[in-house]
Amino acid sequence: MSKIKVVHYLNQFFAQIGGEEMADMEPELREGLIGPGIALQQALGADYEIVATVICGDNYFGSNLEEAQSRILELIKPYSPQLFVAGPAFNAGRYGVACGTIATAVEKEFGIPALTGMYVENPGVEMFKKDLYIIETANSAAGMRKAMPKIATLAKKLINGNEIDLPAEDGYHERGIRVNYFHDKRGSTRAVDMLLQKVKGEEYQTEYPMPFFDRVPPATPIIDMSKAKVAIVSSGGIVPLGNPDRIESSSATKFGKYDVTGMDRMSKDDFISIHGGYDTAYILEDPNLAIPLDVLREMEKEGQIGELANYFYSTTGTGTSVGNAEVFGTEIGKQLLADGVTAVILTST
Amino acid sequence: MKLELGKILIQDVQFGAKTEVVDRTLFVNKEEIIELVLEDDRLIGADVELARPGESVRIAPVKDVIEPRVKVTGGGVLFPGMINKVEQVGSGRTHALVGATVITCGRIVGFQEGLIDMSGPAAKYCPFSETNNVVLVIEPADNLETHDYETAGRLAGLKVAAYIGEAGKNIEPDEVVVYETKPLLEQALQYPDLPKIGYVHMLQSQGLLHDTYYYGVDAKQLVPTFMYPTEIMDGAIVSGNCVAPCDKVTTFHHLNNPIIEDLFARHGKDLNFMGVVLTNENVFLADKDRSSDMTAKLCEFFGFEGVIISEEGYGNPDTDLMMNCQKVSQKGIKVVLITDEFPGRDGKSQSLADTVDEADALVSCGNGNVIINFPPMEKVIGTLDFVETMIGGYEGSLKPDGSIEAELQIVIASTIANGYNKLAARGH
Amino acid sequence: MNKLIVTNNSLVFEKYCNHCGVIYLKDAGYLDVLYAVRDRIHQSYVLLTHPLAGSLKPNQTPYKSIIITRGEAGVDTDSVVLIENSIAAAQKFLRDRNTPSWSEKILGDFRTVDLSLIENAMQKRSFN
Repeated sequence: MSKIKVVHYLNQFFAQIGGEEMADMEPELREGLIGPGIALQQALGADYEIVATVICGDNYFGSNLEEAQSRILELIKPYSPQLFVAGPAFNAGRYGVACGTIATAVEKEFGIPALTGMYVENPGVEMFKKDLYIIETANSAAGMRKAMPKIATLAKKLINGNEIDLPAEDGYHERGIRVNYFHDKRGSTRAVDMLLQKVKGEEYQTEYPMPFFDRVPPATPIIDMSKAKVAIVSSGGIVPLGNPDRIESSSATKFGKYDVTGMDRMSKDDFISIHGGYDTAYILEDPNLAIPLDVLREMEKEGQIGELANYFYSTTGTGTSVGNAEVFGTEIGKQLLADGVTAVILTST
Repeated sequence: MKLELGKILIQDVQFGAKTEVVDRTLFVNKEEIIELVLEDDRLIGADVELARPGESVRIAPVKDVIEPRVKVTGGGVLFPGMINKVEQVGSGRTHALVGATVITCGRIVGFQEGLIDMSGPAAKYCPFSETNNVVLVIEPADNLETHDYETAGRLAGLKVAAYIGEAGKNIEPDEVVVYETKPLLEQALQYPDLPKIGYVHMLQSQGLLHDTYYYGVDAKQLVPTFMYPTEIMDGAIVSGNCVAPCDKVTTFHHLNNPIIEDLFARHGKDLNFMGVVLTNENVFLADKDRSSDMTAKLCEFFGFEGVIISEEGYGNPDTDLMMNCQKVSQKGIKVVLITDEFPGRDGKSQSLADTVDEADALVSCGNGNVIINFPPMEKVIGTLDFVETMIGGYEGSLKPDGSIEAELQIVIASTIANGYNKLAARGH
Repeated sequence: MNKLIVTNNSLVFEKYCNHCGVIYLKDAGYLDVLYAVRDRIHQSYVLLTHPLAGSLKPNQTPYKSIIITRGEAGVDTDSVVLIENSIAAAQKFLRDRNTPSWSEKILGDFRTVDLSLIENAMQKRSFN
């Protein structure tokens, strides 16, 4: 029996090529296995063979999503893989998004099982858990030893067409796929049990968790816009040329505050978008599409708004974790309040 | 109000010269049944077939399922306001032929109703694969108007169930269960230390083929009201709803409401079952506002500390379910909801069409969108002509060999949202 | 209250076109009716009937009738939420499987049931 052919995906760091300074590295393919591939090969056993490893820098992947995907698919095609494993990415946000993106693309393109592993807070989990089996891992590479056997076990089940067990048993992040089963008790009996637990204040477990929306109550309306001080906050990744704060093109960990004093409009000579994952061609040509300075300046002149703050806040939306976004929002809000801003226009892409 | 329910166990059904129960076998007189059905001149044809557990039989298209029962003592008669005069029921003694049913079958409209398989892999999804069924195949007069045909079919089933139920009147039941709910203040005092629990029963009430009747009143016309739980056991509530086979609450399921049964099972042990609030699922949003307000008001007034709310149907009823949940919760009453799920074929979408934050305790009766394969059966009662137009069916569902590929939705009461079945869905 | 029915069901149109406003979207699909209602909600109409009324799934019946009325100035947020949830639910079903091309007999049945839902709603004299 010939061995099951496996292709493994790693970023520049795990492929032991370099750290952040190599994050722009373009996709490359190496025959055989590298670094974490050793543990994967061991866990998969003798019936499997890692025939190739694809490596790509996290920044390159994030900034060139489409191109990175198609190039990687081209690279691995000649190897006709039967199984694809990406990462695991642990808590690395950009790496997680890359693993999720490429595994999803491989599964779709080649129709083979593709899986990865991530820490629960990795934004890639939320983005890809519906599309992929993502093994739950520790938050750092120290968890590699434990993660790889789980990935291998689930991969084998997928290859052999075995039934997949519950998330807790097979160690993957719940995908939100509703699967039928027969309970020991009928539904009405379970309802009575659950109700008594709830009435007594005991712990109970709903059988269908409602979708969770972190709703923010809207602020009270502004009565008189002609007295409002307005500021612009954007997740469109607009930054001054050169990206002085080194804001990431995806999975941002920071935001920037940029001055527009004396400007009537956003000039493409001063500002660019570093946002990954969407076509920035139009915004690069006219940054006012993301930061509508031109229109707001006119409204300021005409007295329709009281005053426009002489700066805007900016970060990247794609792949940015809800946790980070909350931190950004809270901090930006504090600064805006301190500056007497009464209205904010949020722009995205 | 106190009802003794005598359960006469039925383990087989056969045709016979006389409709009677002998040694747990139900014998039915075919000619008498046909005669009874054809008393209604809106129906020009009727046939009776039998379907037993394990047989290679498929029944389609199924409209309603009814358990034969008979009133032995106590006021009133079965199915008040429908086939009998309106009189309070729920007291005295009633006998039920447990393990037997009457199934009405026949084309109402093109996409109606669903399937029952008596054996094979799909049988486990349907409670009526385990019962001994007297199947009534009816045929309407030419050009009979749809509403009239629906009514005639509904009444035929009820009449035949009542007729067969008579056979149990003088039989000594295998088991007698006593259910009692006292007037509110007495009931509260009976078990002062146990949590007072109520049941909010949402009745399907959207329009043609989406109606339920309470003492003959169309549930659309109801304002929420109180019902002693035993009233339902004498047929106070009758189903007229044929659509959405999987979550259809048949008349059988009203007679045998599992929530009422399970609340009684714990009554006096770890809860005090106070009674039932009936409400509806109207299409008018103003009706929803009114009904949910009144449901919450009644639950508060009766001093419920916890309620179970069940729904019938998908979409429009989800909004009623959530409004009831929210408003009852806001009265400080703990709420558990029972529902089935429609998360799409891949199981990844939202299961319900509406949601509120208060819906934090929900029991799932399964995912109705799952695709099931039904192998061919040796015998079909009714017709498979409408399989592809039934809910859950689609073009290409019916294969030339008589096998069927369709969503679980097509099976009668397979994901019924009152918790009658053990089927559930969970997250993978 | 001036009711306005948005429908793609000829039976509803024929029955009510002389009683109240009817926007008849001939040959439009189920979702098109929902979209048309959504657009009007943003022009300060308010939903009177539930957009998913009827247990027929959105990829089962091609017919849909919804009653709306002109509300106060501004947009009724409850109506917005309900119509958006309904559109999402309908899209979910239609994504899995399109409504089949039914025979005229079956289409007639679907029209009858859709009309029946609206008749029940229209019989109400008061709904406030």
